Amino acid sequence: MTSLSQPSWASHARALWAITRKDWLYFWRYPLNALSLVFQPIIWLAPVYFMGQVFSTNGQAQGFAGFSGSSDYMSFIILGTALNNFILVVFWGMGYALKNDMDAGVLESNWLMPVPRLLLLTGHTFTSLVTTSLTSLAIILLAALFFGFHPTGSVWSAMLTLLPMLFGLYGFGFAFAALVLLLRDANTLVDVGSFLVQSLSGSNFPVTALPRWLLPISLALPLTYGFDAVRGWLLKTQTLLPIETEIMILIAFMVVMLVFGVWAFRSLERHVRQTGTLGQH
Amino acid sequence: MSSSYFRTTSPLTRHGFGAEWRAMWTVFWREWIIFRRYPSWIIALFIWPVIFPFVYVFSARALAGPDGSGMALFTRATGTTDLVGYIAVGTTVWMWQNVVLWTVGMALRNEQTRGTLESNWLAPTWRFSYLLGAGISQMITMAIFIAVAAVEFGLFFGVRYQGNPLLVLLIFAAAMPSIYGLGFAFASLVITVKEANAFVFLVRGLIMIFCGITFPISILPGWMQTVANWLPPTYIIHGIREAALNNANLAALWPDIQALLLFGVGWLIIGYSTFMWMERRARQTGAIGEY
Repeated sequence: MTSLSQPSWASHARALWAITRKDWLYFWRYPLNALSLVFQPIIWLAPVYFMGQVFSTNGQAQGFAGFSGSSDYMSFIILGTALNNFILVVFWGMGYALKNDMDAGVLESNWLMPVPRLLLLTGHTFTSLVTTSLTSLAIILLAALFFGFHPTGSVWSAMLTLLPMLFGLYGFGFAFAALVLLLRDANTLVDVGSFLVQSLSGSNFPVTALPRWLLPISLALPLTYGFDAVRGWLLKTQTLLPIETEIMILIAFMVVMLVFGVWAFRSLERHVRQTGTLGQH
Repeated sequence: MSSSYFRTTSPLTRHGFGAEWRAMWTVFWREWIIFRRYPSWIIALFIWPVIFPFVYVFSARALAGPDGSGMALFTRATGTTDLVGYIAVGTTVWMWQNVVLWTVGMALRNEQTRGTLESNWLAPTWRFSYLLGAGISQMITMAIFIAVAAVEFGLFFGVRYQGNPLLVLLIFAAAMPSIYGLGFAFASLVITVKEANAFVFLVRGLIMIFCGITFPISILPGWMQTVANWLPPTYIIHGIREAALNNANLAALWPDIQALLLFGVGWLIIGYSTFMWMERRARQTGAIGEY
């Protein structure tokens, strides 16, 4: 007698494809949301652009160069904004991936599928990485049009440096999704958490401009080195540490976060099996 | 049944100022209870005033340079040396309008999604009192928010207020009709078009780009300055900066107050007219129960 389902690598791959495709369709079903993901960051750049004009002479912010090694403050900030998009998506998208399934009333039935439950989040990750990369690219292109963007370094080195940072970030997203599912009403936590992480990791300014008491917190965030290294490659700004050291930190961050994310998710799975709270809002 | 029956029995409800006031009070009290029910909303009142200006303040410090050499350019353009106070005023006004759009602007839509709008609509009261009640509750919340913001700016960022507090309050009072008039118009539109997010993003985006939350509007190109002059937050931000940071007197503030009062009358008329239009349309099309 055969079982109702016969799990295999092929069935896992099909499940992964189904989740990825579902998220992809869902993303493009709401084109205004997709447009908003691109235009919102551009709007938020406007006050910084005009504020930078106040501090500039002939378009050059010499004061800014004292902190970053480059007077091209808009390229610095545009790159930070595009990378920042991934942080926002991990907090709001990945963080709410399971909660959204719960609210839609499909989490319990998904949980009963004969596939490893980690695949539920892995599927979300694939679509999220692709759609966020596309929107980040669109942000850079539009911002270049409006404000000017002048990369002078190696794009490939910057992209390779970005990979461990993104994998680490999504590993954190696994753990965060589990936390949001447990807390249920986590809007303020997500809102404040994402805002502080993006601000303190230097998405909009060189972290050396922070006061002494805040700088250690910023330097303790691995994302700070991600932003710094990518800018170092692409804009040739002064980096906090030698780029090779920053890449090693990012690789360690990736390993730790992936292991931690998987562990946190498995702990949640055990918790909800023991307490039966998966369907509780 | 004789006609005298109708003359002697009282109607099911008695209209009057007292009844309208009780309806408004009930809406206000319900909103207040809902607000207190979620501790995270109360925590947010204390956290956001500090962390929202954070990015702009440290971006400005980075632009000023390690030795603060860029500050001379900033002072020349803005007329103040108080960089943090200058930014904090702009971001607070932006947050005020943003929160009004999300709360007052969503008041009717929230009722609609909860499924209580239709039954409330049948209550024998002036329907605008739903919005007024929600608006008054929101005004109190925002008064707390702005007071917390003012204290926290002093404590955490070292902002020193030099002006007459009564004149600062006068600007806030003059700003209310335009801020809440826009909120009322917004609430009525949202109930019709259903989707609020895109509209909130549009309105707050306009304020962010044109109204000088972190910069003087004199730095904008001419056409952008013209647009800015048609947006009330431009005058609110300018007026509060002048009153709180530059010790301006009533005569100096009068152009801002005058503009705000004119805009306020305009936006209250627009807000009320939009509501009446929506109410009439809802009765004719039955759209009030549609999602």
